[in-house]
Amino acid sequence: MNRFVLSTGAVITAALVTVLMAGLGRDPKHIDSPLVHQAAPAFALKTVGTGETVDIASFRGKPVVLNFWATWCGPCWEEHPVLNETARAHPEVQFLGVVFQDDEAKIQDFLRKRGSAYPTVIDDRGKTAIAYGVGGVPETFIIDAHGTIVAKHDGPITQEQLQSYLAEVLR
Amino acid sequence: MIATAALGRLLILGALLVSTAGALLGFASGAKRSDEGLRWSKRLAYAFGALMLLATLVMEHALLTHDFSVSYVAHVGSRSVPVWVTIVSLWSSLEGSILFWGLVLGIYIAAATRFSSRGNEESMPYAIGTWLACGAFFSFLIAGPANPFLTISPAPLDGPGPNPLLQNHVLMVAHPPLLYLGYVGMTIPFGFAVAALLRGKIGPTLIRAMRNSLLLSWIFLSIAIMLGGWWAYEVLGWGGYWAWDPVENASLLPWLTATAALHSAMVMQRRGVLKGWTLTLVQASFLLTVLGTFMTRSGVFNSVHSFTQSAIGPTILVFLAAVLIGSVTLLALRIDTLENDGRIDAPVSREGTFLINNLLLVLFTFTVLVGTVFPLVVEAVNGKQMSVGRPYFDSMVVPLGVALLFLLGIGPALPWGRAAREDIRRALLPPIVGGAALTVLGVVFGARNPWTIVTLFAGGYALQVTIVQLAKLRHSRRSVGAYVIHLGVAIAVVAIAISSTMRVQREVVLQQGQSATIGAYTVTFTGTEERSEPHRTSSIARIGVTKNGRAVTTLEPRMNHYEMMREPIGTPDVHSTIGGDLYISIASLEPNRAGLLLIVTPLVSWIWLAVLMMAAGGVIALVRLPRMTPLPALRREGSGEGLAV
Amino acid sequence: MIVALVLLLIGAPQGAPQGVPLHGDALARRTQEIASGLRCPVCQGLSIADSPSEMAVNMKTEVHSMLERGYTREQIETYFVHSYGEFVLLQPRSPVIWILPIAALVFGIAIVAIMLRRLAAAPRTKKIDPDVARVRNLVKGTTS
Repeated sequence: MNRFVLSTGAVITAALVTVLMAGLGRDPKHIDSPLVHQAAPAFALKTVGTGETVDIASFRGKPVVLNFWATWCGPCWEEHPVLNETARAHPEVQFLGVVFQDDEAKIQDFLRKRGSAYPTVIDDRGKTAIAYGVGGVPETFIIDAHGTIVAKHDGPITQEQLQSYLAEVLR
Repeated sequence: MIATAALGRLLILGALLVSTAGALLGFASGAKRSDEGLRWSKRLAYAFGALMLLATLVMEHALLTHDFSVSYVAHVGSRSVPVWVTIVSLWSSLEGSILFWGLVLGIYIAAATRFSSRGNEESMPYAIGTWLACGAFFSFLIAGPANPFLTISPAPLDGPGPNPLLQNHVLMVAHPPLLYLGYVGMTIPFGFAVAALLRGKIGPTLIRAMRNSLLLSWIFLSIAIMLGGWWAYEVLGWGGYWAWDPVENASLLPWLTATAALHSAMVMQRRGVLKGWTLTLVQASFLLTVLGTFMTRSGVFNSVHSFTQSAIGPTILVFLAAVLIGSVTLLALRIDTLENDGRIDAPVSREGTFLINNLLLVLFTFTVLVGTVFPLVVEAVNGKQMSVGRPYFDSMVVPLGVALLFLLGIGPALPWGRAAREDIRRALLPPIVGGAALTVLGVVFGARNPWTIVTLFAGGYALQVTIVQLAKLRHSRRSVGAYVIHLGVAIAVVAIAISSTMRVQREVVLQQGQSATIGAYTVTFTGTEERSEPHRTSSIARIGVTKNGRAVTTLEPRMNHYEMMREPIGTPDVHSTIGGDLYISIASLEPNRAGLLLIVTPLVSWIWLAVLMMAAGGVIALVRLPRMTPLPALRREGSGEGLAV
Repeated sequence: MIVALVLLLIGAPQGAPQGVPLHGDALARRTQEIASGLRCPVCQGLSIADSPSEMAVNMKTEVHSMLERGYTREQIETYFVHSYGEFVLLQPRSPVIWILPIAALVFGIAIVAIMLRRLAAAPRTKKIDPDVARVRNLVKGTTS
């Protein structure tokens, strides 16, 4: 029994298999956001249609649900009604939609046809999306009344998920 | 028809049965040295191959007749794709590709059983047992977690077609089969290695069988890796050919250890040493293919190729763990029975350079493996997500590659065995001329990057040594093959260095009729064209290309819109010449305006050609002369020179 | 409008630029360099320099504008890491990934040295396979 071979081999085997096992069950495409528990990056963007400027700092004192989306994104169409309903049901929470990489005419058309219970702004060069570490759409940030991000949700959000996030910030 | 799926399932279960029985019988026959057992093991090996072939034919038939009651056909079939796409979709998606793996394995086992038996009767039972054990695992995978023959009822009327990326280019047809021929082929030498370890000895006929099967797989794998890079270059649109994506790395790892094994086997044959080490490398090559298939299919790695996670990943991991533990145990138990019957006289000798070659190749393998697996380790340890990408790999691999290139020149220049200092000097000094010449040539043409200049010197040195050796050799065809391979490697490394560091890139936005220049070329955007095919519509940018005033070609990069994909997939267009390529891909396209990426990459075609040369050299080495080469005079005992093969 | 612009500018979380503003060729080259080290979050392993996706182009524009204003590579990378995490750097900051291969190299050289010494010390006479010995004797018989 060659002890050198056995020990080296055992170490390599154990290390490799453990690492690969740990990898199973994790989604390699999901990246944790480092912004959770950090201050929400500041921005001031123009509203679709009216051109009014909306500054996120002006919402200090109210919890904010910040939703990044685009008209070409399928799952965004699915979650839009959820956001609209919840916005109407919770006027104490500020909802804000941010669209980037999109066409203003298409956005206006979408909002007109499907209604909007909250303002939508355009992030023209995607600068705000970058500041928020947005990798795809839709992504939703839950911000508390002090301006700290408490959660980031990747992908379309459901009624239950949204309610549970809101329960946290409304406490 | 429901019957098709059931037939397929039956054939696979048959393969599972046959391979399990054959594996058990093989090992038993080897232990008992039973001729009858060997005969039956062989029959079972052939049966396995036949059953896999039949199952594959059943699947192809289902694909071609658009039998959507078969689950795999429902996943990847489509009535609106061309016939060749349908045929090729056998390997386009997860379950089908595992079935394809089984087919290739079956054919290899049958061929190896048929052609390697003579002279190896005592080892064959163990080898067949090992091969069929692998066969049993893959049959199990196909019968269970990766079953392509599930029945769907009611059968849908049409399917989505295979991944559009696969329909974009004809190279996609060749890459997977060749990759599998290379990958799966590593199972065969692995079987021989296990046999050698179980028997505690390895004789000349077994060495030859192991080397030949290793070389054959190596040839296919080399071409496959090259095709993967070429395909990425022609299709993906960023103008490069290697991004150190985890799955790309997975294909490279066994190639590196196989190359090391081929060299180490030469030392084993000539000097009778490094037996255990060579067998370790052969086992590692097989293990790395299992790791590679895990990496590709498990969905654990963030990659271009990834599939979603399923039960397949854990199943392969269990197999990997089992084979790892088995190999380590077998090696630890038996490596000491493989006695050295020779020695290495001097470190500064050809044998010495082979050892350094092995060191560098194993280091290369280790570095790529660490880089690929590192993000996983970090995430497991502290939950943070990190990336290890091109900048890391490039900076690690370049010095290794240059060192190997130097070795490519020094090694063949040195004689076997101990040599006088004067002889060493006489061998090593003249090629400096070749090195200097190529360096000067490169600098004249504009090379300025320090690593490129070092590469040019090493390359010129290696080329001179190789060409001189080729001129000297007239009789030993195996050596001719080896030097042709070396020639290819030297050319490839130099071409890679030049194409990466002397690349010129420009991003332009052109109105209709407007031109831009890059290098010696002038490109003019003449307009956009829309073209419709049954499975996709394409927006094509027509671009006229002139050089020094003379019209050269029209390039047509495209944006393809597939029904099933939300975002369009761009395909660049490339004008390849022996001096370099002009590469154009679309960043944005409107009827009158095109945003284009223009790249001029020198000598990139030389890379593809050089690898083909490597493959050709391998084939030359593999094919035996009709008459035996005259053996060099049998020397007196104790001279240290063995029988050359 | 001006207020909005001002708010936009002072909203920058990266603090004051610590380097020299760049222009022209140097700016283009440095943008390419730094962009090659940043990972495109929506692509598979490509850098934002290589990726054609709109997200990557936007990020690259951001790098360009930060360089123009005089931010250093460190600051730019820290800015992106703040939003995306270390994932966005294509080369990890941790030294472990450099130490391991170098340690392996040292280990390997040691092994090769030991092997060479051991193999050189082996006895000169080879053990001859009895079949080979028979062949040799036969051949010697026919050629003498």
